[in-house]
Amino acid sequence: MDISPVGFYLFAGVAIACSLLVVFKKSPVSSAFSLILVFAAFAGIYANLAAHLVAALQVLVYAGAIMVLFIFVIMLLSADEPSFDMGRSHPLVKALVGFFCVALFVMFVWALKKSDHGQVLVGPYSVAAVAASGGNSKVVSQLMFTRYILPFELTSILLLAGIVGAIALAKRNLGKEGK
Amino acid sequence: MEALKIVDPSLLGLTSEQYSSLGPYLWVVGGSLLAMIFAVVPFIPARISVVCIAIASLIGAVVSAAHQITADRTDLFAGMMVSDGYSAFFNILFLATAALSILASVRYLEKQKLEYPEYYVLMLFSTFGMMLMASTLDLISIFIALEIMSLSAYVLVGFRRNDRRSNEAAMKYFILGAAASAILLYGTALLYGSTGSFLITDILARVTTKPELMTPAYHLGGWLVIVGFLFKVAAVPFHMWMPDVYEGAPTPITGFMTTGIKAASFAAFVRVFISLGYGKDIEAAIGGRLHDVLWVIALITMFFGNVIALTQTNLKRMLAYSSIANTGYLLVGMIAAPHSEAGYAPILMYLATYTVMNLGAFSILSVLSGKGDTNLNLHDLSGLARRHPWLSFAFAVFLFSMAGIPPTAGFASKYYLFYSAIQAGEIWLVVLAVLCSVIGVYYYLRVIVYMYMRENEGLEKFAVPALAAFSIAMMVAMTLQIGILPSKMIAVTKKVVAKL
Repeated sequence: MDISPVGFYLFAGVAIACSLLVVFKKSPVSSAFSLILVFAAFAGIYANLAAHLVAALQVLVYAGAIMVLFIFVIMLLSADEPSFDMGRSHPLVKALVGFFCVALFVMFVWALKKSDHGQVLVGPYSVAAVAASGGNSKVVSQLMFTRYILPFELTSILLLAGIVGAIALAKRNLGKEGK
Repeated sequence: MEALKIVDPSLLGLTSEQYSSLGPYLWVVGGSLLAMIFAVVPFIPARISVVCIAIASLIGAVVSAAHQITADRTDLFAGMMVSDGYSAFFNILFLATAALSILASVRYLEKQKLEYPEYYVLMLFSTFGMMLMASTLDLISIFIALEIMSLSAYVLVGFRRNDRRSNEAAMKYFILGAAASAILLYGTALLYGSTGSFLITDILARVTTKPELMTPAYHLGGWLVIVGFLFKVAAVPFHMWMPDVYEGAPTPITGFMTTGIKAASFAAFVRVFISLGYGKDIEAAIGGRLHDVLWVIALITMFFGNVIALTQTNLKRMLAYSSIANTGYLLVGMIAAPHSEAGYAPILMYLATYTVMNLGAFSILSVLSGKGDTNLNLHDLSGLARRHPWLSFAFAVFLFSMAGIPPTAGFASKYYLFYSAIQAGEIWLVVLAVLCSVIGVYYYLRVIVYMYMRENEGLEKFAVPALAAFSIAMMVAMTLQIGILPSKMIAVTKKVVAKL
């Protein structure tokens, strides 16, 4: 699979820069907006890989629906100012954290550079084969409802558990006075 | 280019064997859906109907899982899930854990004014996730199962919303749990990228036939997956979330987590561990280094857990540290398993007995605890034996068992575990493990000293709820039964790991 290096480095650079902004920005709203850019950059990478359906879903679901919810929550809670003082961490702790981050990064770069990518097995779903079998959307949906039906159904149960959990946490007067 | 054949007709339906092997899962999901409906039905008090539905569905699931222990292996969903003796053994363990925790919870929730049906629904969901952890064979499904189990647990930990410690525990658990999941997921992605398969059996087969696939990226992926699991089982140095979480959670949930979630993480860990090629002839995965790293982690986990537990006066916190120490013993079993005759059987045996005695201890703590989880300090137990001789006797049995004193289950399983480690030639590790468990004897027996030999100044007399008394009595019986006649249990565990 060929991927244009210009597109990849452009989108990957944007994604990394915006991820750093998500972490370092003090205000939650600007963090959330940086996250939108991260998702958009991911969508660019997927499109570059000819996975157009995934790219579109990434924009619709993540950059669209989920981020809107994020921002609504931030604004409704008016979480723009911190409700408590985090305190400052010790410089030694900061240095250690920085060291571990750099070490992890170096390790990843080393491992991926050293790996012989010629060995990676090529699956049946090449761009041409997918195009011949009816395009991305058709192939993905056929796979999702046959080969990958188990993770698909489990995800719906996961979401249901999440909803029940959210209700349990958000219900009013839980535990305040006995009924 | 010719069109691909994507739809595999054999995946469009399930055969009758496949349906029946899905029985336990359908019971639990069905039970939780029904419980959700009955939680909002008017005129029927939800706190009664939901508990009854939960217990009934768990019993149904146990019955349908029981015959699978001896049944043949059934592959489901193109090999993504399997129903074999191993998964059936763990399913029964998780279902029993959930049922006994629910029995301990009923009066506890009443006492804490927390009688909300979501509690039981979330417990069923968490149990469902645990069951899948022991039976799924591909890394995506293992990840989703882990999330189903953990997500419900995060909420259950924070269920006492008006208690600061409970909130803090839930937040801590959520953030560190999410970090662990992210590490696991990254490892999964690297393993997939370097071998082209999500199925753990496939990954092993591919790297065995084609060792060039074991690139540095593959090794890194394997290590990340291992670290993710070590987080979940709370091995030192990935244990920092655990004591606060166990202390802040509602007491029956702490019992549920120390047994169910730990056993589920080990169930999946063992399967993934085998598929990374440890102990196989291939110079696989992470080679001999995995042995050395796990050796050190097992040792510091045992030592740290036992030594810190010595200084605790809160019983919940003490049992949390003792749970860390037990993770260390289980890691000894993992290291030794491929080189000993019994294989992974001692781990299953240990997890089963640990579940029984620990759930028993936490059921007793749920009975003891006052509003807001007070009354759980050591001095509250002073002279308990005079007012509640049976409860104290039961607690003493569980503590003797955890300390590993015959004729209890704890002794039998620890003996079996260490014996297999000696067979594997890990003499030094076993010597150190035994020394660590001798440290443990001190803090377990200290509780008994408080109950039996101190002046009568602890808690007032209180009523012991019937449901909790029933489940405690059952666990005492099982602790003694496994301790006196362990051979049946050993035979079962040997059989279920034989085809792993």
